[in-house]
Amino acid sequence: MSTISDEPVGAGWRRTDGRIGLRNHVIAFSTVALTDRITDLAAAHVPGTLPICPSFQRGLRGPDAQLQADMIRAVIAHPNVGAALVVTHDRAAAADLKAASKGFGKPIIVVPLMAHSGMQAALDIMVSDLRLLVAQVSDSQKIAMHLSDLTVALECGGSDATSALCANPTIGRFVDRLIAAGGTAIVSETAEFLGGEQVVRSQSRTPEVAADILGYLRAEEEMMKADGIDYRGVNPTQENIEAGLSTLTEKTMGAICKIGKSKFAGTLGFGEQPVGRGLFFMHTPFFSPTSLTGMVLGGAQINLFAVGVYNPSGLPLAPTIKICGNPITCAEWSDSIDMDVSGTVSGNSTCEDPANGIPDLIGQISEGKLTCAERWKEGQIIVPMSRLPL
Amino acid sequence: MTKAIPSADPKTRLSVTAHTQDNVATLLDGKVDCATISGGLAITKGVPFGHKVALRSISVGETIVKYGVVIGHAYKAIGAGEHVHVHNIR
Repeated sequence: MSTISDEPVGAGWRRTDGRIGLRNHVIAFSTVALTDRITDLAAAHVPGTLPICPSFQRGLRGPDAQLQADMIRAVIAHPNVGAALVVTHDRAAAADLKAASKGFGKPIIVVPLMAHSGMQAALDIMVSDLRLLVAQVSDSQKIAMHLSDLTVALECGGSDATSALCANPTIGRFVDRLIAAGGTAIVSETAEFLGGEQVVRSQSRTPEVAADILGYLRAEEEMMKADGIDYRGVNPTQENIEAGLSTLTEKTMGAICKIGKSKFAGTLGFGEQPVGRGLFFMHTPFFSPTSLTGMVLGGAQINLFAVGVYNPSGLPLAPTIKICGNPITCAEWSDSIDMDVSGTVSGNSTCEDPANGIPDLIGQISEGKLTCAERWKEGQIIVPMSRLPL
Repeated sequence: MTKAIPSADPKTRLSVTAHTQDNVATLLDGKVDCATISGGLAITKGVPFGHKVALRSISVGETIVKYGVVIGHAYKAIGAGEHVHVHNIR
């Protein structure tokens, strides 16, 4: 779908499900913690590969087992993944994944560790498989991409007073442009909408969508009350408090600026892929690596991350653009900030200017420019558990 | 949202009042030795970058309003120009 306000934004790799990747990663993906070490080791031997070793467990119960299985498929299917070496421990798990692998429409090799004799033999096979996959994707053709092809994850960390004044409003202005162009954005962290109920009511496309989000907020609030614990110091975090934020509502009023004037089109469970386009609310825990996991496995190809004081979050599958409005952080962490918007604090520019630079920056990233989080290899995949393992 | 008022005066701190109904302002510079904010209100020295000061005196139980929204309540009396944070609001 292309709308009248759609805009070209670099180039990417078209996948068979219609989505476009900003990256063409060859991943070495360990589907169970037992194989994390050897998978990581194999990736270290083959330049141009990305290890994905999320410490996935065995013996999970009901919905947790299902969520983990869904997230394994979401990693392989992710638009930024061009090919995957999928490592399992046992042969049965490998057979299941092999049966499913044709449906992904990308080169996939499934390796069960137990089908080999000795770590060295297994490592040698995995290294040669990874080299084969790298060769297979090396001449993949790119196509022009538009804002309407993007799903963007919106996140913030290390929030301070500038987050509400600079970084989050910058993201909000870009989001308004993205949504007008027919693109998709996902915002999450249910706890950080507490106190923002009025915004949810006025910025939802239908009363039903507003009711869904408010339902998540009520459940979150009741959970915190039922625990009987004062969560100040947990959220807002100690560094939020040190930076001057006193209450969760004060933090919320900054975080909520990320959605701009856009209206929610729907809600998503953890890691769930949006159906349709527009702005979506995903119900996730507040820890930003966990939230990023949910949104990226929900299909986000790129993350916009507002920081006040520094926060080293990221997600290996998708580039993360760190946007900062705190002039002290921008000076001290200049090796880790992609966009300095602190001019809006000193009155030297308006929020409009940096927001207009985001499509260009995404274009450059699609052409191979690495974000700071990619250079530092920040981030990991964390799938939350609702129940203790068996 | 009112804009930051850049101040060339080294004795005045840069502050932002986000909404006309707010009873707190946010300090956006590190000039902690200064005792006045843009607009002329005398404030406590030493309030760090990004922290809030009261724009008027606030009694126990009163709402703290920032961005035009109630962000908390005072559990200690706060004088005009004093630091507003977890030691006096929740």
